[in-house]
Amino acid sequence: MMHIANELPEDSLLTADICIVGAGAAGIVIALQLVDSGLDVILLESGGLKADPQTQALYAGEVADERLHSPPDRYRQRRFGGTTTIWGGRCMPFDAIDFEARQYVADSGWPFALQELLPFYPRANQLCEAGPFAYTTETAFGGPLRPMIADFDSRNFTTNTLERFSCPTDFGARYGQKLRSARNIRVVLDANVTALQLDESGQRVTAATVRTLAGRRAKVQARQFVLATGGLEVARVLLASSDVHRNGLGNAHDVVGRYYMCHIAGTVGAIKIKRPLQGVWHGYDISDEGVYCRRRLALRPEVQRNLGIGNFVARLHHPRITDPAHRNAVLSLLFLSKPLIPYEYAKRLHGDERSSVRAWLRHVGNVVTDPFDAAAFAWHMLKDRRLAERKFPSIIIKSKANLYSIDYHAEQQPNRTSRVSLTQDRDPLGVPRLKIDWRYTNGDVDTVTRALALLAGDFEHGGVGTLDYDPATVEFEMTRYGAYGGHHIGTARMGTDPRTSVTDADCRVHGVGNLYIGGSATFPTSSQANPTLTIVALALRLAERLKQESLRDAARHPLLQPS
Amino acid sequence: MSTFRVLVLGAHHFVGRSLCGAIRVSDWASCSGDEPGFDERNPASLSQALAACDAVVNAPYGSPAAIGAAAKSLYDLASRLAAPPRIVHLSSMTVYGSAVGEVDENAELRADLGDYAAAQLAAERRAAAYPNSVVLRPGCEYGPACPEWSVRIARLLIARRLGDLGAAGDGCCNLIYLDDLTGAILTALRLPEIQGQAFNLAMPQPPSWNEYFTLFAKALGAVPLRRIGHRQLQLESKVLAAPLRVAEILARRLRLPVRTPAVLSPSLRRTCQHEIRLDSSKAQNLLGLRCVSLAQGLAASAKSLT
Repeated sequence: MMHIANELPEDSLLTADICIVGAGAAGIVIALQLVDSGLDVILLESGGLKADPQTQALYAGEVADERLHSPPDRYRQRRFGGTTTIWGGRCMPFDAIDFEARQYVADSGWPFALQELLPFYPRANQLCEAGPFAYTTETAFGGPLRPMIADFDSRNFTTNTLERFSCPTDFGARYGQKLRSARNIRVVLDANVTALQLDESGQRVTAATVRTLAGRRAKVQARQFVLATGGLEVARVLLASSDVHRNGLGNAHDVVGRYYMCHIAGTVGAIKIKRPLQGVWHGYDISDEGVYCRRRLALRPEVQRNLGIGNFVARLHHPRITDPAHRNAVLSLLFLSKPLIPYEYAKRLHGDERSSVRAWLRHVGNVVTDPFDAAAFAWHMLKDRRLAERKFPSIIIKSKANLYSIDYHAEQQPNRTSRVSLTQDRDPLGVPRLKIDWRYTNGDVDTVTRALALLAGDFEHGGVGTLDYDPATVEFEMTRYGAYGGHHIGTARMGTDPRTSVTDADCRVHGVGNLYIGGSATFPTSSQANPTLTIVALALRLAERLKQESLRDAARHPLLQPS
Repeated sequence: MSTFRVLVLGAHHFVGRSLCGAIRVSDWASCSGDEPGFDERNPASLSQALAACDAVVNAPYGSPAAIGAAAKSLYDLASRLAAPPRIVHLSSMTVYGSAVGEVDENAELRADLGDYAAAQLAAERRAAAYPNSVVLRPGCEYGPACPEWSVRIARLLIARRLGDLGAAGDGCCNLIYLDDLTGAILTALRLPEIQGQAFNLAMPQPPSWNEYFTLFAKALGAVPLRRIGHRQLQLESKVLAAPLRVAEILARRLRLPVRTPAVLSPSLRRTCQHEIRLDSSKAQNLLGLRCVSLAQGLAASAKSLT
């Protein structure tokens, strides 16, 4: 069933076994797993079925340094389906090393190993519509594919691991009907949770306070609560729920909102491959299931350990679009199409830099001199991306001169001083707004610097090509566009020690027996991997815990009945 | 040694044909119904055949009107016999109409899925009123030469007109392999204690339609699978289906040596979304239904088509 909070009677009291706050990837997956479970479930979503500027504006807040982080209302969506309505679809599991407590990465280590999540990844892959859980060329394609770079044999990087691409699946559109038709699930739209109320002991949540932008109020009582509002908003709700605990829920040790991570990403250098054109393949391979897969250069775990650096992957990439010196019609067409490309993608494609009239004219010149290439590319993007339901994931330009750049995606290390906190300013519902103070460390710079040096060395030693870049500009380049948008990690991290974590290994908030966190807020470290697949795997695991816990809890804590 | 004489109605259709083959290689039964000159639509001919058999398998096919007429004729004539023979009536899961979730044989029967389903339900009601019948409700028959759920699907997959349907393919694909169906029919002919009962027939852990299409496409080598979007499904089922069906009928009637493109009908589209799961545990317990694995069934289906 689906309800609109504005259509509920004033001061409604809703009751359920489980109340899930937030209908994004985590919230929807947990609700899906609870269909026909015998448990009465309410899924609260702030937004409606479509984007609404007023609702989206509830995300607005401050950023300590606008060069380093995008505004809080960008790269996330406050609507049914959450940020899956705009995500890029890149899926890959975390690596085993990501779960380890690494002496050289402060505050690293998950409270469990990769093996704990492995049973949930295949189903997560299925829900993301990314095909089978097979992330090497051997397992996904039954054997080696044409080489990414002929004769490239690296001691430091593997070339057989894959990233697989979701459609990208909008979880709201894809699974909304299943939830609507489930007899034990009630989805309530336009329902903004402004705070979670505790009992007198401060150890159990009794109700979620709901308000709508139209002024309606409601309350939801449940035995178990799951906060799955995204990596930033989880911290906001926990901190704003301060009626019993002055510092907010789960925040006895001032950890909520700290250790905020994104990913370190950038595009650098000029690679010249000294091999025939057909000896380089940096595009997509399509699996039997029709899923786009792409190989990467992945820094080997033993090398990470030996050098004491974080996780890192890289891909061959096209030259910088903004510089017309590439003389490529397709890249110039992309530059000229900037107004048609959504902000979230345009930023890294084009940057925020202003181009001169002369540069614009040179781009036009590039297109005019090779109109067939540009037209073929435009047709490909229309057919295989714009109109296709399974979209061609990104721009792939085959260089006629075997010239590329390096596009990398690196782990950001946990850093207690990188944080989100509340401001004095409040949104129209009375909830304090967020301030984002994202910070990186020397360790992050070191990861990228040393990984790039290894890569350049491997190209050189193998004789397959050269990677030219200026080591002195690594830090500038890795922060050129700031923190990687949309990957909001670590603000309610898992752990065994409440002094350095917010939840336990089951994602239950320390000291609050019936409050769980869903999503990347609970990740203790960020890996090189995009977070969505692991968010879904963790949500599946949490749903299992909730089923077990609900059976035990029903006897211990009968619900208050509405008077 | 005297054999058990089985009259197969619908013997020229794929289920009847398979059944006749299975009976002929058995050592306990003989088969009639597929001999030249026998016209099951002719009451005199049918009456004569009924008098000369020990049991009947009614495997109706064709238009709703044809299914209705065949059932009326069969049960009227058989009821007049002094010793009404056992009739194993092949119905369809469509008699459960738009029901969702797990469905066993006690579920309500509904005629809310169109004329075909209504005709099957009316025919089944005639069977239920007959004193010596067993009703079988198979899901989607697949296997070599199964026209709807193997041949048509294969042609659509090979043409890349069918594939991963997203939410439109999340329905439950209640498959029954043709040999398993045939085996269940043979058992139902011989068990006196199941008289008057109905049985669902489908594999125990059915895939979704998306999974079926994926696995079948792999078995056929029709990969990579295509994602079929909402717009294309609309176009196929709402715009192209009717003219393609007309072309198919015309080509058949005019005996033209052409094969028209397969039809992705509105009913196929609806079926792929339908979240009904047949509970076949009764058939497993009483008829000894054992299903081949989906991988085996698909491999055999694909082999027959390539």
